[in-house]
Amino acid sequence: MAAPMELSCWGGDWDLPSLHPESLTVMAYAKFSGAPLTVNTIDNSWRAPKGDIPVLISEDIVISQPAKILNFLRKQKYNADYKLSAKQGADTLAYIALLEEKLRPALMHTFWVEAENYCSVTKPWFASRIAFPLSLYLPGKMSREALNRILLTRGGPPLYTLTEVEAQIYRDAKECLNLLSKRLGTSQFYFGDTPTTLDAFVFGFLAPIYKVCFPRVQLQDHLKQLPNLCRFCDDILTCYFRLTVSGHSPAGQDTVDANLQKLTQLVNKESNLIEKMDNNLRKSPQPPPRKLTMLKLSAGGEESSPVNRLSP
Amino acid sequence: AAEPWPENAALYQQLKEEQILLSDNASSLAVQAFLQMCNLPVRVVCRANAEYMSPSGKVPFIHVGNQVVSELGPIVQFVKAKGHSLSDGLDEVQKAEMKAYMELVNNMLLTAELYLQWCHDVTVEEITHPRYGSPYPWPLNRILSYQKQWEVRRKMKAIGWAGKTLDQVLEDVDQCCQALSQRLGTQPYFFNKQPTELDALVFGHLFTILTTQLITDELSEKVKNYSNLTAFCRRIEQQYFEGRDKESSTTVAARSAKRSLLR
Repeated sequence: MAAPMELSCWGGDWDLPSLHPESLTVMAYAKFSGAPLTVNTIDNSWRAPKGDIPVLISEDIVISQPAKILNFLRKQKYNADYKLSAKQGADTLAYIALLEEKLRPALMHTFWVEAENYCSVTKPWFASRIAFPLSLYLPGKMSREALNRILLTRGGPPLYTLTEVEAQIYRDAKECLNLLSKRLGTSQFYFGDTPTTLDAFVFGFLAPIYKVCFPRVQLQDHLKQLPNLCRFCDDILTCYFRLTVSGHSPAGQDTVDANLQKLTQLVNKESNLIEKMDNNLRKSPQPPPRKLTMLKLSAGGEESSPVNRLSP
Repeated sequence: AAEPWPENAALYQQLKEEQILLSDNASSLAVQAFLQMCNLPVRVVCRANAEYMSPSGKVPFIHVGNQVVSELGPIVQFVKAKGHSLSDGLDEVQKAEMKAYMELVNNMLLTAELYLQWCHDVTVEEITHPRYGSPYPWPLNRILSYQKQWEVRRKMKAIGWAGKTLDQVLEDVDQCCQALSQRLGTQPYFFNKQPTELDALVFGHLFTILTTQLITDELSEKVKNYSNLTAFCRRIEQQYFEGRDKESSTTVAARSAKRSLLR
């Protein structure tokens, strides 16, 4: 149908195909809509893509932002939204705007601005994937850009210090997560049983918060209190990305662990019961031991009478 | 226990005829519509330095009793604390939807308005610069105007809108209007029978776009493509603004006439 399409994006870790929210969104959408996409993760070589990441290259066309990439894929007939009604399409746009306004600042802050997170996790990870000497400069630049964006969009009066801005953006992000959780409810995806654009965007934003292990994790803790969102991320990872930790699918691994736990508990209970029974037996008055050996040694005499008494 | 709403509540904005810009007018109209819908009387006071009086630097702001609150979001919460709310009848999922749509309007419509009036060179030269600094003498008017423009352009660059062309911005506006139109459908308000803050916000922006004359009519044409949105604006104007005293309704109409190219 279409020329082969290549996507350049940041790679992944901690069970994720990518750490970058926009790259994840595009990859998820490609999986949902069945678009054949070869994914090139950016590595140490100097083949840096032009423009913002993720970048889609198809023949000679180079497209860089997620919204534009998704539009291009739809035009190539890879559409994950064909079952949606007009109103649901409108809802998609609205919720994406909500994610951008409320969740993105906190996400960027967790990754790039929070000092401990940035120094111990983000900077080494990104630096290891960028060629030297650009690796000395680019992570710092991304961090400065993130801080700049947060301050310009959210940092006006009456919030005057960075700590106040941080408090506000995390409050907004937690509220946004609550809203997303309420909207998802108990269904598997946001619009029924098949995933759509909105699911791709929500997954792209939530999965990095959920999976990446940072030292400072207030957003992750909040997310873990919303089990339906965690289940949503896990479902997409297992069904569409099939990334596993140790060869079992995480759901299978969980059931195996659960079964093992139950078995262990049962065995423990049994052994406790047996111990109790033993104790009871020892404490209770025991009948005198049968002198059965004497029975054989003596032909008759006094021992026969106890034998006669004992045996029924 | 909520204090009663005082009679002398005031809403401050910039000067209606000479100074106020498209985006500020939209925000102010949204707040006015919201307060009308809650049946809370407020009088509109126009001051040249409204932006500097505001606690957050943005207009409009309301002065109620001894409190000053600016921008629609905080005003809605403030009014709710006083015991009036338009969105109590909504369930959790609907509230989430309402917040999402309000963010959509802020994200797309408001940003497009800001782009048009501060990043589109022709509009900036011919409309924005003359209007923004009009109450002040030269050279203060030019300095304030350039300062604001620099600030807005920095923000546009940070969110990635600086590289957009006018056509792309208009396309985004069209997408946003399409979404709003599809959500509204044939209902009188976005959440059927009762207006909510979302209706006030959408009305503020769409009405302003429809009645403001800019260099080109492309922006208002985009909104006019959706007849249910224009009907929605008309309905809210009739219900909440023409019921007020005559001067405000004539001002609403006069604003559309006066908002022409100024030199």
